[in-house]
Amino acid sequence: MNAIEVDNLHKVYEPSNVAPKRAVDGLSFVVPAGSVFGLLGPNGAGKTTLVKILTTITPPTSGQARVAEHDVAREPIEVRRRIAVVLQQTAVESLLSVEDNLLIYAYLHGVGRGEARRRLRAVVEEFELGEQLRETVYDLSIGTKRRVQVAKIFMVDSPIIFMDEATTGMDPFMKRRVMDRIRSEARGGKTIFLTTQVLSEAEQLCDTILIIDRGRALASGTLEDLRRLSEQMFRVNLSFAELNESVIGRLRSLDPVELQVNGKSVEMLFRGTETSLLGELADIARGISITQFEIRGADLEEIFMALVKEKP
Amino acid sequence: MSGIGAVVYRDWRQRITNVGFVFWDLFVPIAYLALFGIGFDRAVASSFMVDGQRLEYTAYLLPGVIAMTAFSVAMNTAWGFFMDKDSGIFYELLTYPITRRQLLIGKVCFNLLLSAVGALLAVALGVFAMHIQIRWKFLPLTALVIMATTAGWFFLLSIFAIRVQRMDAFNTVTSAAYIFLMFLSSLFYPLAGLPQWFQWTARINPMTWQVDMLRFSLLGAGAPAMVLAEAAAFVVFTLVCLALAIRALDRAA
Repeated sequence: MNAIEVDNLHKVYEPSNVAPKRAVDGLSFVVPAGSVFGLLGPNGAGKTTLVKILTTITPPTSGQARVAEHDVAREPIEVRRRIAVVLQQTAVESLLSVEDNLLIYAYLHGVGRGEARRRLRAVVEEFELGEQLRETVYDLSIGTKRRVQVAKIFMVDSPIIFMDEATTGMDPFMKRRVMDRIRSEARGGKTIFLTTQVLSEAEQLCDTILIIDRGRALASGTLEDLRRLSEQMFRVNLSFAELNESVIGRLRSLDPVELQVNGKSVEMLFRGTETSLLGELADIARGISITQFEIRGADLEEIFMALVKEKP
Repeated sequence: MSGIGAVVYRDWRQRITNVGFVFWDLFVPIAYLALFGIGFDRAVASSFMVDGQRLEYTAYLLPGVIAMTAFSVAMNTAWGFFMDKDSGIFYELLTYPITRRQLLIGKVCFNLLLSAVGALLAVALGVFAMHIQIRWKFLPLTALVIMATTAGWFFLLSIFAIRVQRMDAFNTVTSAAYIFLMFLSSLFYPLAGLPQWFQWTARINPMTWQVDMLRFSLLGAGAPAMVLAEAAAFVVFTLVCLALAIRALDRAA
């Protein structure tokens, strides 16, 4: 069963006096129930717009999106009853205490007073908010505000959780704890829709990943599917006895995705077959001594960067 | 807890935990009555004639103070929309299992309660400390007028709070509205004797309609036919503002 189904989704913003902007441009994908889904993309790729559509904040211009088997445009309340959302922007009730933030979130999601109080104790303990419980959120650090924001979603029992760059601003210890909690929620059958720019986070957490840019899908699949893309992509580190413009020119002629020169060392991201690359490098080595050579498959971040750079 | 109940509770917690709101909602209008009312009454205008009825200035001002309370409460509650946008919670609220209309209704319900408390305090001060004679049997009508007009102001100010992106712009609009609505109306002084342009402008000002309705229900001052026409105009004003506020909220994303 799919928790989320998106079919040929479009969102066009048409502000007055400015050219229309296609924020989402024909996206189609599904998110299986009980999985962790990662949405990756650079700034302005359309991630937040997509989250806004799926969480019923804004309607799509065309296409269809269903969350928990309900159409986001036609049945927004049914969708909202089944989701909990951490938005990219820090969203807390600044003028209220931490306790009020957590309780009011629960009340607004239809949780009764007794149950809300019971959940409050568990959430406060897990997110170590006991000392700040009575403090006004306005006076807390950004990291703690973010912790309150994430803690809120565990005051309710929603089968689908959206987290738009949820761990931004958190200290590493709390980030680890949130990631562990996400894994545990997914193991318990919940669906997690995660957007992030921290690719290691996506690698560690996500069962399936969609990479988008300018509102369009660049690549999608399981982590293994994406790794297969890296079979044709290599990170190469070379150190030369002498490095001149002619050698750099020859390396550039190999059409690397990325090339960085640091003193006598060169780092390249190369797309092609390993054999052809090694042949080219052997040819270069006839003219100039290579003192160090290292080659490895690209990681997710490199695949991501390459896909974003290569898309016209 | 129902969706609307939760919204009312949320606004209640926001107001009760912040002394600044209580000051502006309740204390400032009463201070107007206690300080400006007595001062003006003794120094300048010991009595006014309103449609043939002689009134002490404090009595004349009491309905105006209640109208100010309604407007201040509405302005602060509408400002809450702005604060919600500023703190980012507004967009999160739109993902909660409540409709945007429930959000608006919850806020207006809280508004009405607070406005009623403010009016009660002003009336208590007027009656027990300043010995203003009011029409007790018309008190339910007064309460109805307070609630209906508070809702009208809240819907009007919500349109700006939802649509305007910058806090300085919102503050400028509401402060300017506050000044013009109050001083270009019958809130502080009777319109008879003022220049024609002033009278005509005041006659199309909803603040005048509100104050005249309150003055009629509380003190029995004013021509019933005129007050009835003003009540009808305020109902239309409220319904138009409600429609525009719903439209603004539906488009907020």
